[in-house]
Amino acid sequence: MKRYILPLCFLLLFVFTSGAFAQLSVGVAGGWAKNYLYTNVGYRVFTHYAPATGFSVSVPIRYSVNGWLAVQAEPQFIQKNYQLRRTGYYDGIYSATTNQYLQLPLIGHVSFGGPRVKGFLNLGGYAGYWAAGANEGVTPNIDHASEADTYAGVLEEMPAQHFNEPYAFDSRKDRRLELGWLAGTGLSYQTVRCHFFVEGRYYQASSDQQKNYMLNQIPRYNQTFLVQIGCLYRLNLN
Amino acid sequence: MRYLYALASLFVCLSATSCREELPQINAPDKYPKGNLSQEFDAFWNGMNNNYLFWDVDPTDWDGVYRTYKPLFAQLSSDEKDVEQAYAYYREMTARFVDSHYVLIPSDRTMASIVPAASRVRKRPDFHLPIPNAHYSGPVLRSYLNQNSVVGLSPDSSAVLIAGKIKNTNILYFRIPSFSLKEWYTARTGTAKAVIQYVFDELQQPDLRGIILDVRGNGGGQVVDLNFLVGRLTDKSYVYGANRMKSGMGRLDYLPWVEAAVYPPAGAKSFTKPVVVLADMHSVSMSEATVMAVKALPGGNGRIVGERTWGAMAPIADNNVFNGGGFPLTTLFREVYMSSGMFRYKDGTMYEGVGFPPDVEANYDGQALQIGKDTQLEKAIDAVR
Repeated sequence: MKRYILPLCFLLLFVFTSGAFAQLSVGVAGGWAKNYLYTNVGYRVFTHYAPATGFSVSVPIRYSVNGWLAVQAEPQFIQKNYQLRRTGYYDGIYSATTNQYLQLPLIGHVSFGGPRVKGFLNLGGYAGYWAAGANEGVTPNIDHASEADTYAGVLEEMPAQHFNEPYAFDSRKDRRLELGWLAGTGLSYQTVRCHFFVEGRYYQASSDQQKNYMLNQIPRYNQTFLVQIGCLYRLNLN
Repeated sequence: MRYLYALASLFVCLSATSCREELPQINAPDKYPKGNLSQEFDAFWNGMNNNYLFWDVDPTDWDGVYRTYKPLFAQLSSDEKDVEQAYAYYREMTARFVDSHYVLIPSDRTMASIVPAASRVRKRPDFHLPIPNAHYSGPVLRSYLNQNSVVGLSPDSSAVLIAGKIKNTNILYFRIPSFSLKEWYTARTGTAKAVIQYVFDELQQPDLRGIILDVRGNGGGQVVDLNFLVGRLTDKSYVYGANRMKSGMGRLDYLPWVEAAVYPPAGAKSFTKPVVVLADMHSVSMSEATVMAVKALPGGNGRIVGERTWGAMAPIADNNVFNGGGFPLTTLFREVYMSSGMFRYKDGTMYEGVGFPPDVEANYDGQALQIGKDTQLEKAIDAVR
């Protein structure tokens, strides 16, 4: 945690040293997320991790320090999903994992451009809580083997058995607190009160999804791309 | 300007804290150099680390095993004395494994396999050796079955199947020495088919009082036999437990539990008379699946008589199918044979390493067997009555 204290201090510094320009805006944003798991499958054959899509909903709260600089907190619900897929003879076997995170990005926001249409850059860090998960997929049904002599794939040999279950967290293994950084860029359109924007954002976890519970553990990090649109409403006008 | 400085500092800090652990390179156990005991220990330890199914419940401290035995194996050469020492280390390392299918098979076929469950079963207070096959084709056939009973041999003549009616009753008895029933039934050679067909025909008889499936000393076999045999006792599929497979390389990476069910073959009818499975501590694997599947019959007409079973309940398949289970080695041992999944009975209890308990306990009586009296079978007959 210590390594995150310094950047948080900088953000707080922005807030408390701001001048007369200060504006507070609150809004909503939502978008489409695509998550990649940074890990590997070891020596497993015909097996690979694949990215999966999800969605995000957030409530950005922006404190504008001046005309081009702001700090933003953005309580957010975001899905960080992925799949484990089999190929070749094992094609059709998969496990799709849906993970729900509640997270709080703290962002430095720099904007540039004209009075109405502006470009912007976001940079910050986030802390997230892995709130829930689910596994949906297909596994071969070992109790129901086929009677054929030859098979084109394992699911002919053993028929598909579907599963769709909430993920049962294991406190020995699962690290539910996720920390990381983010960077984003986008365009905004400003009216007197409202502030519409479209943004592309990248989140990279710097904490493993798993605790260090075994030797030779293969870590897993979420890497999430988000495309979102949103609107901010200014609460005070200067 | 101070804000720009602050933002730049923030970026530097976040970049510095974004360092992630490197992904380790993990090699397949059979790719390690041959002929080196220390290398084989690494292969074995990592193979178990990534492929063993029972880390969730196993009492073995696997990281502790690495820390303890890695330096010990590093001191071993390949001379005969060190090979014996290595073999002893492997026996110690695996002694507490829950997986009761677990067999560590030496490359030298004159050496004994390491079977932790066998040591565990031998420690049972009521331990006895398996009842000899001659008991079934001798005293059981002569003293307990009608004269028109049927006896058949598997195609390779290694297994003797016996079926007939218990004397003075209409109770069907079926002795199953191992599970390859479907294979034997469809084979062109062997006389097992006649026995199996006799059982299937008798199951259709309306005046049948019940059936005894004798799986004592049955070491298991092919899982397809579950539907082939027990499936004929029901007209609709039913759940008798659940399987759980691995989802990744981590010790605690699991998929959700999925239902394990019995599926009746086409035309099967519900059998509502008593079904008794006679099992003992040498009833293993598919025998235990049969025990549990009969116990879970939807009509509640299944009963288990005998002793607590061996305790190897989980399914077995090629490692590549479920990304877990047995794997090859290359030096002192040629193979780790073990379960590909975990299994729990429909009541949620996992009997792996423990064995499934009987409804009616019938202990082994060696003295009675010597004079041709089978007290366990007699209790099974009483349970049908």
